[in-house]
Amino acid sequence: MTTVSETAHAGATHDDHDGHGDAHPSFLQHHFDTPAQQFAASKLGMWVFIATEILMFGGLFCAYAITRALEPQVYDQSHHFLNKILGATNTIVLLFSSLTAALAVRSAQVGKRNETSIYLVITILCACVFLVVKYFEYSHKFHLGLLPGHCFGHPGLSASVLPNGQEVGTCLRMGANPDSVTPLWVRAIDESGHEQLLPPRANMFFALYFVMTGLHGLHVIIGMSILTWVLIKNQQGKFSKAYFTPVDLGALYWHLVDLVWIYLFPLLYLVGKPE
Amino acid sequence: MSSNASAEAHISSGDGNVHVHIASVPFYVGIFVALVFLTVLTVAVSYFDFGAANTVVAMLIATAKASLVATFFMHLRYDSLFNTLCFLAAFVFLAIFILITYDDLGHRGEVDPDYGGTVMPQTGVAAPGSMPATSATANETTGEGPPAAGSGEKK
Amino acid sequence: MAAVDIPMAPVAHAPHAHGDPDANYLTATRGIGSWLTTVDHKRIGLMYLFMVCLAFLAGGIFALLVRLELFTRGKTIMDAETYNRFFTLHGAIMVFLFIIPSIPAALGNFFLPIMIGAKDVAFPRINLLSYYIYLVGAAVALTSIVMGSVDTGWTFYTPYSLQTANSVISMTFGVFILGFSSILTGLNFIVTVHTMRAPGITWTRMPLFVWGMYATALIQVLATPVLAITLLLLIAERFFGIGIFDPKLGGDPVLFQHFFWFYSHPAVYIMIVPGMAIVSELIATFTRRAIFGQFAIAMSSIALAVLGFLVWGHHLFAAGMSEYATMIFSALTFLVAIPSGVKVFNWTATIYKGSVVWASPMLYAMAFIFLFTIGGLTGLFLGTLSVDIHLTDTYFVVAHFHYVMMGGTVIGFLGGLLYWWPKMTGKMHDEVKAKIGFVFVFVGFNTVFIPQFIMGSRGMPRRYYDYLPQFEPFHKASTIGSWILATGLFLTAYTLLEALWKGKKAPRNPWGSAGYEWMTDTPPCLANFHGSPVFTRGPYDYHLATPEELSTDDVLPADATKTGGANPKAGSGAAKDK
Repeated sequence: MTTVSETAHAGATHDDHDGHGDAHPSFLQHHFDTPAQQFAASKLGMWVFIATEILMFGGLFCAYAITRALEPQVYDQSHHFLNKILGATNTIVLLFSSLTAALAVRSAQVGKRNETSIYLVITILCACVFLVVKYFEYSHKFHLGLLPGHCFGHPGLSASVLPNGQEVGTCLRMGANPDSVTPLWVRAIDESGHEQLLPPRANMFFALYFVMTGLHGLHVIIGMSILTWVLIKNQQGKFSKAYFTPVDLGALYWHLVDLVWIYLFPLLYLVGKPE
Repeated sequence: MSSNASAEAHISSGDGNVHVHIASVPFYVGIFVALVFLTVLTVAVSYFDFGAANTVVAMLIATAKASLVATFFMHLRYDSLFNTLCFLAAFVFLAIFILITYDDLGHRGEVDPDYGGTVMPQTGVAAPGSMPATSATANETTGEGPPAAGSGEKK
Repeated sequence: MAAVDIPMAPVAHAPHAHGDPDANYLTATRGIGSWLTTVDHKRIGLMYLFMVCLAFLAGGIFALLVRLELFTRGKTIMDAETYNRFFTLHGAIMVFLFIIPSIPAALGNFFLPIMIGAKDVAFPRINLLSYYIYLVGAAVALTSIVMGSVDTGWTFYTPYSLQTANSVISMTFGVFILGFSSILTGLNFIVTVHTMRAPGITWTRMPLFVWGMYATALIQVLATPVLAITLLLLIAERFFGIGIFDPKLGGDPVLFQHFFWFYSHPAVYIMIVPGMAIVSELIATFTRRAIFGQFAIAMSSIALAVLGFLVWGHHLFAAGMSEYATMIFSALTFLVAIPSGVKVFNWTATIYKGSVVWASPMLYAMAFIFLFTIGGLTGLFLGTLSVDIHLTDTYFVVAHFHYVMMGGTVIGFLGGLLYWWPKMTGKMHDEVKAKIGFVFVFVGFNTVFIPQFIMGSRGMPRRYYDYLPQFEPFHKASTIGSWILATGLFLTAYTLLEALWKGKKAPRNPWGSAGYEWMTDTPPCLANFHGSPVFTRGPYDYHLATPEELSTDDVLPADATKTGGANPKAGSGAAKDK
């Protein structure tokens, strides 16, 4: 019994189709046999990639869980420093952009080129709105000095001592011997302009806030770039009912960005304990 | 054709071309409305204090939203099952990582019967350098115990 | 039903620019540009092979220098600070630039598509991208050398890695980039195995090398992202002083170790599973038998992949983890030894009463079983909590992981290279030189590392620049062993390179194997097979293979349909491929 029965071709194609008479489509890459195989492979590849992104962001969620367990009081007070309404607005904006991304895919699936472009444009605009809101949030924090690590500290506040004798610093490394292992309580100014006293390791909350939302923001920018590229290709007429894979994959990436925010939002913005 | 038949089962009707389930516009809008509702809900709920359940409630609502996005916007409902498996597998391994690491931190400094001391970081009780003297740590040449307990680490 | 040929429209198909699909892949297109822009998995595999061998050379030189320094007590050729940098470089280069990409990216890229009857991997352009990402990552990591060099050990433990010289950031950022190369390779393999198997290659018939690559790919995809975030957090901590890993700022240094080892333990399975996968292939071929318990070995690869994610804490036993967690991890570590045991027993059962051919790849396969068993068993010693208290951070650990990584993976890699060299290059190497090289490698390797087991158990700590007088004879023996080992490795490299110039033309199937990759041309044509293959037997079914398929003479062309008469359905079988 022969192992391998090969269709012998003298230097001809390396693609075989069963006899349904379709010309070899231009979007079909040479190592795939059928568009369905190519589509299935592309989707699976995207999902494997999404799994890797979940694990990467997941590491940050682990850091979040650990630091929150180490210093729960900081998180309880976090609502002083993060604007829930801005966060919720961003959430709705991203959810809406997810809707328009899904609709863009749908339009591509039915072959409506212009509709696809319109939905893609709306999605990209929503992403811009998200980034603008983020810009306002970040700049407010810079202004208040709520920055990670060495940079934490408001210029207007000074070190002092609490009634119970504990030292207070405006920066975790100021106001005490820098080699001391004693983390200090910290004074900070909150969203509404009031002075707040934060327990040690407060800096870690803001550090995680910036790292998590910053990495997410980077993915928003990447997602916008991908969708812009898809938009350009769509305008060039590259997609059709038979081939809309890049639109689908671009939208999948965008949905991933939305998914991460769905978890970031409650964990960072909604976790404070109202007094 | 050289391909994994099951990967294509949801996509092709056998002619090699791509066939997918196409949902309607109202359907997608309906999912969006549900997502907005859940967002409003999670913000509203955050104004109340349920103690330790706060995070659980928030995570449940977030998971509901994520499920809607993944199942319908990302078409997992109509795709090959293996794609869903990839998605869920990531969460499973993430859960293993977070839970065991968290568990380690939760059990740090539990009483070691040989030493009789604790080092719980959260309560700030005596650090390793300040454990009571035992015969295991006694100074052999002078017969004295180890140095007296220092102040250890303040919280 | 006849297969219908659909000619490809030239304008739409870049592959035509890459040459005639039926031509030899090495000569189909010419010029260095055609290599640098190739999307052919075979060429990409060779380019990776070249780079990982360079990395092995670099890491090996650092190893020789480290061992030379340890030849005598006190300073031999370098001061302590340099010594710290050299062993860090040895570790980082060997782990990230050599061993993790070695088998998957070089041999896996080359042979995985062929062994499932595909024309290429699922995403050839991403394959090329992963290669360039590797180059960039390697370059960034190596700039750390000129910027002051890291001295933390390849594990970058905090808090020292937060306090030491600047180039931690360039090294860790380089490794971060390298991680993406690994992820993309794994992603490609998973999708390829799921969607591009030729008719007749069911999951149960899939060659064990492919199963091994698939299991490795699962680990690469799931574990490497966590390394990415770990390194990002480390860089952010160095840059901003975040405080998550720094005890002075209220952070937890053991948390860094949790993060780091959640990737790095599965990473060691990325290293060993491919080595085991090669050994399965070698043993089947050189005993001319089906592997005993083929599906069990396949499943054990998957089991290793999954269980490998549960045991990372065994690197933290003495680091300050809670006792409770140490007990859990120790129990799980014992569990993870079981799939490895399944493989070793099944290989042994295969060899028993097989007709063994002692070609050089088979020597490496046998060495693998012996050396990996030692490495694996000593791993169990280290997984035993009470014993680990004494053995952790000693040379015992160093010997253990070199037995599994070098005695395992590198031996497997060398065996695979010698086995597949004829297929990849079309030239036969000199078996005599290869066997002599093997003897030097085997004797040298054991001479390096057996003394390390002994001194480790007697208390010699690892990563130490200086040591007590009682350890000197062991260090001397170990260093002399390193010279013997180096000789063997250089001789083997020479043998392989010599074949390119002076080797005889290799037949299609020099080892008489029933494996699928031997059914192609030597070297394979650009599209791997002429047309779309259909497979009607398993890769180890020696009782079903025809004498022509197993022939070591170059009597027949790769197209087995021309054998005529062997399978009356051969004519219609080809057309049954839809």
